[in-house]
Amino acid sequence: MPLTDKVAAANQINDLLKMILSGAGFRLKYRITVNPPATGREDWRQPEITVQFAGPDSPILLARNNALLNALEHLAVKALHLESEEHDRIGFDCENSRQVHLEEIRMAADVAAERVRKSGMPYKFAPMNSRDRRAIHLALSQPGDLRTESEGEGPQRCVVVYPKDYKPGPVKHVGRRR
Amino acid sequence: MSETAANQTAAPKPDLRLLMEQVVKLLVERPDEVKLDTEDDNGETVFYLKVAPQDLGRVIGKQGRTARSLRALLEAAGERQNLRCDLEILEEDEE
Repeated sequence: MPLTDKVAAANQINDLLKMILSGAGFRLKYRITVNPPATGREDWRQPEITVQFAGPDSPILLARNNALLNALEHLAVKALHLESEEHDRIGFDCENSRQVHLEEIRMAADVAAERVRKSGMPYKFAPMNSRDRRAIHLALSQPGDLRTESEGEGPQRCVVVYPKDYKPGPVKHVGRRR
Repeated sequence: MSETAANQTAAPKPDLRLLMEQVVKLLVERPDEVKLDTEDDNGETVFYLKVAPQDLGRVIGKQGRTARSLRALLEAAGERQNLRCDLEILEEDEE
C-alpha cells in the first residue's frame, strides 16, 4: 500500500502505539510528527512521519542496540502494509539516538571518502542495515568523484566505496560495525 | 506540519497474550485465523502462534525480521513484568 494519506497513517501508528504501550505496561510517551521540519541536510531522505519516544522506560527501547525501538518501527510499517521502498518514510527515534547515529554514519562516510580519494583504493565498510547503507550512498553521491555499491547478501551486506573510474582489484577491509 | 501526542502509563495487569494477538492481527490478511496459546515451560512462558498458511510469510517477514520484531516486543514486555517469554511460530502441520 503506498503512503498517500500521511495523517491517516499517523493516526494508525498512534492507535498501534497506544495499544502496545498500554498492553505491555511501558512507561513511555511519544510524539508523532507529520512532515517534520527539514534538517538542512540534503544527502539523506528525511522520514515524512516521525515518532519520538521519551520516558522512564527509554532504556528498554534502546537496549540491545535499539532492539525494541527497531521492532516497533518495523511492526508499524508492516501494520500500515507499506511497500518496502516506502519504509524509510517512517522513522522512530528515542531521545534522538537515531539522529546521533546517523550523524556518526555520515562522519564515517566522510572519512571513508577521504581515504579513497587519497589512496585511490576501495574502502569496504563492515556489514550494516539497509538504512545505514542508504545513508552512506546518499552522503557520498556528491560531488560525483566516487561511487558506492552494496555488496554481499543478507546480514553480510555492506557498502564499498570506489574511486569513480576504479578497475576491479583487491578490496581493503576496514572494520566498522554498528 | 501536524502533530499528535499521547502519554501512556502502565496498565494494572498487562495481558501479553492479548497484546500479541492484537498486534499480529494487524499484520495479517486473515485476523480471524490468528490463534495464540501459551504454555509454561520451566519458568518461561512460551507463546505458540498459529496463523492462516497464506499469512505465515507476513508474520515471519523478509529474513525473519517481522518474527524478530514480534519476539523483541514480547521479550521486552515480559521483562517489564519480570517474566521470561518466547514466541514460537507454528507451521501448518504443527499443533
